[in-house]
Amino acid sequence: MTFDSDTYMPKSKAPKMEDLDYIPADLSPEERSELEEIRRRKGALLLEIQRLKEELREAIIEVEGLESSTEGSKTLQKSRHVAMGRKKFNMDPKKGIVFLVENELLRHTPEDIAQFLYKGEGLNKTAIGDYLGERDDFNIKVLQAFVDLHEFTDLNLVQALRQFLWSFRLPGEAQKIDRMMEAFAQRYCHCNPGVFQSTDTCYVLSFSIIMLNTSLHNPNVRDKPTVERFISMNRGINDGGDLPEELLRNLYDSIKNEPFKIPEDDGNDLTHTFFNPDREGWLLKLAGGRVKTWKRRWFILTDNCLYYFEYTTDKEPRGIIPLENLSIREVEDPRKPNCFELYIPNNRGQLIKACKTEADGRVVEGNHMVYRISAPTPEEKDEWIHSIKSAVSVDPFYEMLAARKKRISLKKKEEQP
Amino acid sequence: MGSYYSLIFSRLFPKKQITLLMVGLDAAGKTTVLYKLKLGEVVTTIPTIGFNVETVEYKNISFAVWDVGGQSKIRGLWKYYYQHTEGLIFVVDSSDHDRIETAAEELKAMLAEDEMRDAVLLVLANKQDLPKAMPVHELTDRLGLHTLRGRQWFVQATCAVQGSGLYEGLDWLSDQLSRR
Repeated sequence: MTFDSDTYMPKSKAPKMEDLDYIPADLSPEERSELEEIRRRKGALLLEIQRLKEELREAIIEVEGLESSTEGSKTLQKSRHVAMGRKKFNMDPKKGIVFLVENELLRHTPEDIAQFLYKGEGLNKTAIGDYLGERDDFNIKVLQAFVDLHEFTDLNLVQALRQFLWSFRLPGEAQKIDRMMEAFAQRYCHCNPGVFQSTDTCYVLSFSIIMLNTSLHNPNVRDKPTVERFISMNRGINDGGDLPEELLRNLYDSIKNEPFKIPEDDGNDLTHTFFNPDREGWLLKLAGGRVKTWKRRWFILTDNCLYYFEYTTDKEPRGIIPLENLSIREVEDPRKPNCFELYIPNNRGQLIKACKTEADGRVVEGNHMVYRISAPTPEEKDEWIHSIKSAVSVDPFYEMLAARKKRISLKKKEEQP
Repeated sequence: MGSYYSLIFSRLFPKKQITLLMVGLDAAGKTTVLYKLKLGEVVTTIPTIGFNVETVEYKNISFAVWDVGGQSKIRGLWKYYYQHTEGLIFVVDSSDHDRIETAAEELKAMLAEDEMRDAVLLVLANKQDLPKAMPVHELTDRLGLHTLRGRQWFVQATCAVQGSGLYEGLDWLSDQLSRR
């Protein structure tokens, strides 16, 4: 191998110690050739290092691709298993649960199973009712956990029952109805302390309401009770005393005018969207119009959107606020505590894109520059801010983009001299 | 043609509806009994949220059968229905040795209700097909039926899943009730 000494002996450059090409003049010819040999090896090694780097980079990209594709097929398989589990559940609830637990898609705890049934995605409501109605100790625990997922605060008994009986199909067996009404009454009284003298009163009355619904609306019952008979039927159920007649009359009228609905299976209605929220709760919202009033609304955070309702049982929201391009900040309000605001960063007089339903049913655009919201407690304020922030940052494309960015920056670094 | 006339006839002279209550512990087979009796009939009823109630037409009598039960706290509510009750169907799982005492207590409590004074009692000794099923005479003993005074009662061996024995039970009921 011949060596072009010219490369190592630039004529124009002043000799410097750092210079790679610098050869001190006082070297013997042997030393000179040895130095040249060292430099030649160094050059070769640098090339080798460069080549290895290149190879490593390709390998990293390959590995990343491999990881995301196995992850992809894993999630695909997982969702297939979940779908299969749901189908099995609808045919035989117990077997469906066993399948989901065996495939590690569901933990065998009353809370986890209750959550799964409460979300109800793809589940048949009759199958849910069958599972919750079983006499087994474990199923009874699931029933209790399931009932505890319901929010009945500020609802009257019939409203709460309507909400409850929409979440599954009530079985027709008296003992099952008995257990379900007992669990329901406990939760109702927990959410609404002071409404009933005792949980038993609430439980017997709830059971009585189911009997009334059966008598009034089941065509097999020819003998329809009058309100007087309903009142006399409920004599003494209030720990030996009577309940106010007014209350019983209202209950009777409500059931007579509107029977309990047969719950629809997981359909396309909006209710389904709200079964699995990131967060929900009561908040106060400052009106956007000229009259600044605070309205109490039931807020649901899901799918990167904030929905608000007048009542927890409403199926249609009063308003929808997409969180895209919005930011959130804590604010002080002279009138309400624990406030935060949704706003558009660097806003120049734009309104936040949102919609709401007017009292007459028209859907109109929102009129808010900012949404000012007050939480009941500082803790809830922090939780809401945290949930909204993470809802905003979780974007289906976010992770994909992050991975791509990493790759590009890696490439750029290498291209730099 | 015959069915046409009977249709007109039944419209003109509607059958008397007799309310029957059906009780028994969980999983005794009440629901199966109820729906086996309805089998073969065209069910056009709109589903309703609530208790299983079926009307069964048999031998010129229309029975409205209510699946009732639950804890003692709600027994008071059923009294309203007892008033119109002429018969009680008590379904018992003949293979459930562990809970036969509980079933006996349940039956006793039900019959002790004042409103049940005149009701005839049909016991369906269900699940006779199972290997450990108690025979009718043993169930009669363990339910204490011999100690009942002033009550018409009858025990019918059944296997509700197959539908066997059910109509024999209804025969006895309609026989008793038409004598009144």
